[in-house]
Amino acid sequence: MAWVTDHHPTRSELDACVQCGLCLPACPTFRLTGRETASPRGRIQAMDAVAKGLVPVDDTFAGLLDFCLGCRACEPVCPGMVPYGRMLEGARAEIEEQVQGRSRLSGLLAGTALRSRLLRKLSGWSLAAAQRLKLTSLSPRRFRRLVAGARDLRQRGPSIVGYSSGEATKVALLAGCIQDEWFRPVNRATVQLLERAGYGVEAPNDQTCCGALAAHSGLTAQAEQMSSQNLDAFAQFDTVVATAAGCSAHLREAGWEGTEVLDVTVAIARAVSEGRLPELPPNGKEIAVQDPCHLRHAQRVVDEPRQILVAAGYTVVEIDTVGMCCGAAGLYTINQPEASAQLGEAKAQQVREARTRLVASANPGCEMQLRSYLDSDYEIRHPVEWYAEAIGSGR
Amino acid sequence: MTLTQDLREALGDENVLEEPVELHLFSKDASLMRGEPSVVVFPANANETAAVVRIAERHRVPIVARGAGTGLAAGASPTQGGIVVVTTRIKDIEIDVENRTAWVGAGVINLDLSVAAKPHGLYFAPDPSSQSACTIGGNVANNSGGPHCLSEGSTTSHVLGMEAVLTGGEVVVLGGAAPDPIGLDLKGALVGSEGTLGIVTRALVRLLPIEPDVRTLLMDFATVEDAARTVSDVIAAGVVPAALELMDQEMVRAVDNWLGAGLPIDAAAVLLAEVVGETEGVVAQSELISDIGRQNHATGVQVAADDDERALLWLGRKSAFGAIAQLAPDYYLHDAVVPRTRLVEVMTGIYGIAEKYGLTMCNVFHAGDGNLHPLIAFDSSDPEMNRLVHEAGDEIVALCLKAGGALSGEHGIGIEKRDLMRASFSELDLDAQARLKEVFDPAGVFNPTKVLPEGSRCFDFGGVRRELPDGVWV
Repeated sequence: MAWVTDHHPTRSELDACVQCGLCLPACPTFRLTGRETASPRGRIQAMDAVAKGLVPVDDTFAGLLDFCLGCRACEPVCPGMVPYGRMLEGARAEIEEQVQGRSRLSGLLAGTALRSRLLRKLSGWSLAAAQRLKLTSLSPRRFRRLVAGARDLRQRGPSIVGYSSGEATKVALLAGCIQDEWFRPVNRATVQLLERAGYGVEAPNDQTCCGALAAHSGLTAQAEQMSSQNLDAFAQFDTVVATAAGCSAHLREAGWEGTEVLDVTVAIARAVSEGRLPELPPNGKEIAVQDPCHLRHAQRVVDEPRQILVAAGYTVVEIDTVGMCCGAAGLYTINQPEASAQLGEAKAQQVREARTRLVASANPGCEMQLRSYLDSDYEIRHPVEWYAEAIGSGR
Repeated sequence: MTLTQDLREALGDENVLEEPVELHLFSKDASLMRGEPSVVVFPANANETAAVVRIAERHRVPIVARGAGTGLAAGASPTQGGIVVVTTRIKDIEIDVENRTAWVGAGVINLDLSVAAKPHGLYFAPDPSSQSACTIGGNVANNSGGPHCLSEGSTTSHVLGMEAVLTGGEVVVLGGAAPDPIGLDLKGALVGSEGTLGIVTRALVRLLPIEPDVRTLLMDFATVEDAARTVSDVIAAGVVPAALELMDQEMVRAVDNWLGAGLPIDAAAVLLAEVVGETEGVVAQSELISDIGRQNHATGVQVAADDDERALLWLGRKSAFGAIAQLAPDYYLHDAVVPRTRLVEVMTGIYGIAEKYGLTMCNVFHAGDGNLHPLIAFDSSDPEMNRLVHEAGDEIVALCLKAGGALSGEHGIGIEKRDLMRASFSELDLDAQARLKEVFDPAGVFNPTKVLPEGSRCFDFGGVRRELPDGVWV
């Protein structure tokens, strides 16, 4: 009884790895520990050992995979094109099914809370209230990093869910779960830029969380429910834009037929290159760019955020040529605080060495992680916000 | 105390692994041979490594050193069980810019050393294809090569000294920064010894100044013979390029399918040539190489336009082994060396052997120094296939040796090529090597059964030798 679900890593996926080891240096946890047990090749070997019945799906196996960030930096460097992210989700689904007595926290957060509009709203209200009353330091210890890295929600403005340009609508917007509650200015900047580029925009009311965090945690049933709700909400649109890299990566891989999902950086960079949006002359300011893993590694999107920032007039400062994970990685900050802190501090140090206080990051988790490790005078925003502000349509 | 209790006491609990699934992940390197380690340890320095060696000798268990586990000959596979000593925590780099040397921890990744040296205008010349992952310790143990060893020589030409742990847990420094240290070249014995004589914990290496200019050419050919003849002609013309690599069609297709670099997938073979030095010389040499290529019917000659294009070509070349995964779950390869004048006939012979056995064969290799890498892509779960592949491999090696070649250029012997040593060395040669091993490793714990085939030593008693009562004549 090696595998018990339909999601497990398949024989052909496992065989796609010839154990050459070229993934090792790209893996943040291998870099931290120097251990095969914390490397993509090692994790695949562990999955293979389960598939062959050599080891059980137990706490030790779960521990090996829990330590993985799911950053997928191993995928672009793999000449064998091993679908590691897919295999990881499949193996985690097996762990959820087979290993008893594990913490239910991830399940509650990713599988339940993010799906519920009421609970999401509650997260936004309560954080805003805590910020107003200056009580954020009282948040539970595991969540303190998240809270410290959150934006100021006291004047966060309205949600764009339910918004429609009212004309012939072309582009649909996935507002996201945490994105919609905690990062509303990103969504509003996106709507303004798309409209200025000449597109109608609609953010359908019946959408929900994309399900990425649930899928990454092995909660396949919940992820599939969310995916099917979103498919119903978005199937009528040719193009869906998602404003968080983690969401766009997940939806693109869902493979919706007839509907193209784009990360907002790709949509806006495309509009700029087509001349639908302006390119401003250099403003003499430098901005550090941080690549979210699920943009750079999962979607291989590297140039687009930079093109947007250059169009906004900024000079881009590279902080990391390989795109090492910042340690946010969904719920990793909560579940693996030590490794997350080491990576978060390393990433913050790369930003400090860039010698500019302006930072662009295209994913909410990364943004919060950066903010929680950097001094408060760093301005960290999504590339489309920097651009919208520069061309004068930001609010 | 038990073996693991001793190790836990010496290194701390967190640096000792013994769960079955953890052990499984250290049971092999990038080769096909799997062992079963009893325990895996992560010493932080030479002293901790010495403690591990003493414990291994006390418990009479094998000790196998491992870096990143990218070896291709099972040198780091614990085929006799015992302790796997992982060096990845030993990763300090001390660069001496004035003397162009560096003390480097065994666990430092090869490419990381060159990255660290770059701000000083220096680099470490040996560049195995796995250089982004493999460690300096492994490079020293296998005397690793790489594309650019054509002009600069393999690892042994770049190791000036080393800190090593020998029998009894003795920590020694061999060699040194002086150009010609007095006494026997003991460091020379340890380079390439694959962990059978001791464990190198740090190496003092030579760094070279980054060349002022570089040009990288990609030539494609309608036949492998034309490409191979170009190699022979380039060398005969007196040009020694920094690198001269050949990839055949099957390999180029797999690589480009992943890389999407627009490599010439319709060509039967491509040559990747690089020349370095002052601009004038670089231009002259690259023109000469292009001319020789065209004389040998090159169907296309491109020059990398910039550093990005150059990096992309090398990424393609250096990722070739991993790209085999697109063809089959496993690959078996040899790295025999043949005289460059015999390249054309040997290549023809190798393709003939693959055809005879009906095997999928790719070739990607250091053509400039005649270091072949014939790769057979196959599925190791089929026992009959295993037999065929190894039979074909033996035949390929025999062909290379008959052409005046050598068994291995850079990957080491390990287990995979051990039994072919007899084809290369006489009984006397092997006995001499076994005696050297005995001097360094009287307890027989350092990576036993590797490199030297069984019975290499006349009166081979190996590890039991010490258990004999004093005065017994054997």
